[in-house]
Amino acid sequence: MTVMVAVPDSPEGRTALSAAIDETRLRDTDLVVLNLALDPLDVVGMPSDLPITVRERTGHADLADCVLAALDEYAGKVDLLVIGMKKRTPIGKALLGSLSQRLLLEADVPVLAVKR
Amino acid sequence: MSHDTHDAVQTDTTPSTPGRHARRLTLLTVVATFGGLLFGYDTGVINGALPYMTDDLGLTPATEGVVTSSLLLGAALGAFLGGRVSDRRGRRTMILWLAVLFAVGTLICTFAPGVGVMVLGRVVLGLAVGGASVTVIAYLSEVSPAERRGRLVTQNELMIVSGQLLAFVCNAVIGGIWGEAGGVWRWMLVIATLPAVALWVGMLAMPESPRWLASRGRFGEALAVLQQVRDAKRAEAELAEVRALAEEDKAAQTAGWRDLAVPWIRRIVVVGLAIAVMQQITGVNSIMYYGTQILTRSGFDRDGALIANIANGVISVLATFVGIWLLGRVRRRPMLIVGQIGTFCALLLVGVFSLVLPEGVGRASVVLALTVTFLAFQQGAISPVTWLMLSEIFPLKLRGLGMGVCGLMLWIVNFLVGLLFPILVAAIGISATFFLFAGLGVCAMLVAKAIVPETKGRTLEQLEREFKHASGPAAETAEVTR
Repeated sequence: MTVMVAVPDSPEGRTALSAAIDETRLRDTDLVVLNLALDPLDVVGMPSDLPITVRERTGHADLADCVLAALDEYAGKVDLLVIGMKKRTPIGKALLGSLSQRLLLEADVPVLAVKR
Repeated sequence: MSHDTHDAVQTDTTPSTPGRHARRLTLLTVVATFGGLLFGYDTGVINGALPYMTDDLGLTPATEGVVTSSLLLGAALGAFLGGRVSDRRGRRTMILWLAVLFAVGTLICTFAPGVGVMVLGRVVLGLAVGGASVTVIAYLSEVSPAERRGRLVTQNELMIVSGQLLAFVCNAVIGGIWGEAGGVWRWMLVIATLPAVALWVGMLAMPESPRWLASRGRFGEALAVLQQVRDAKRAEAELAEVRALAEEDKAAQTAGWRDLAVPWIRRIVVVGLAIAVMQQITGVNSIMYYGTQILTRSGFDRDGALIANIANGVISVLATFVGIWLLGRVRRRPMLIVGQIGTFCALLLVGVFSLVLPEGVGRASVVLALTVTFLAFQQGAISPVTWLMLSEIFPLKLRGLGMGVCGLMLWIVNFLVGLLFPILVAAIGISATFFLFAGLGVCAMLVAKAIVPETKGRTLEQLEREFKHASGPAAETAEVTR
């Protein structure tokens, strides 16, 4: 069984990544890193002893759609999704909606939401 | 749309040998650039037609502005929608429809009985102009071999200024011969149906873009098109490249609004927007749209102004050549800033001389010399740097969103300048209006000096690093936690 982590280009993304690495180690399994940033993920400093697959995001303008599509692709294999959370302003939420809320409600695997 | 300096895909294909395929490609380029020519003609023709139209339709400064700028509002919409439609229906189909739209818009304007119908026609024309601005470039860069692709953006720009020159010449000829007859402006406008028909007939014989076909999974058809425009050996070799580029195009559409929450992404988009605003805020299009009226107000008679205005068109074409040549030789930042200094001085002097010289042929000649100088700096330095930089600063995954937003910004500022210029001239006078543009020019210069990066000879990765490093504390924590 695999752990999947969504890593946006933000501090929460990095928090989620390190939590996911801990969780992967604990479960003694492998990790799929979904890089949601527009530039390639910096792999320096990632543990080399864990089986890690990095997936880049292409062609998906909506981050939640991108994560949900990846979950579909790994259906039956992934049993935990790790995401990072932060406080949002009402205006920010009104403009862009909440990525974590959509994932919490729509992902069909358990979600581990970590705070900074 | 352009992939000149940052083409991720390299092929070992050898350059085309001259022959049947090269001739076919040349013909295709000529046909498609009729789209650029129409763009230029339809934006430029208003320049000479407006003085006659003002009398016939009883235009006020405000309605003059509305008639001129409604085209630009349509163009903003056309550029925004054009990309989506041509992604869905294909480049060729889109250009065929654009040709029809050009003709229909022209006819509505030509037979317009009053301001209302005229504005409707101008909006329709604008949709065609905006759609052409994105689709023709996409089509040309997708059918051309890699070694010719880099020059296409600037070549299309050359066709646009040539179209404007053509419009200025037609205006002068028609105004000179039939100037006394009523409704002469209708004849000036209706000529634009000819290149529209030529574009439509020409495109019927042209193939669909191979890259678009590949993006739809129609690889057999894509190969068949490549065999028309490349020799047999190269066509096979390029199919792989075309497939890769179609994937790259998909990647270019990755970024969405949410990505603007990332500071370094936002910073690049802001620089792009600033470059777009700086190109239009010089007021270049006040001369391209209202040149004849500026010259009439300065002291030429109407026929004289129509003829003198041709100088504005000629210098635009010549300067665009010089600008393309310069881009290969000098760095972008100094070129932009020198252009801004040049346009600032010319604008300031137009203001000064309009104030101190009495109205007459003397003042009009000085103003003409200064608008020509202005256009030399604008079209020879600022505009070419703008087109190229906008295609260079965005990382691949941000390109679709970045170019889209900046394109929209260009049209909006263009619209505001077109709308407000006659109103400003009527309200505060011609010299104050030019002082205003000169003042905005100083602001643009300061912004350029502060935030525009040098893109010549640098990779996208180097640029990205620079944008990330400017971000302060957030970037530092990123370094630590990663």
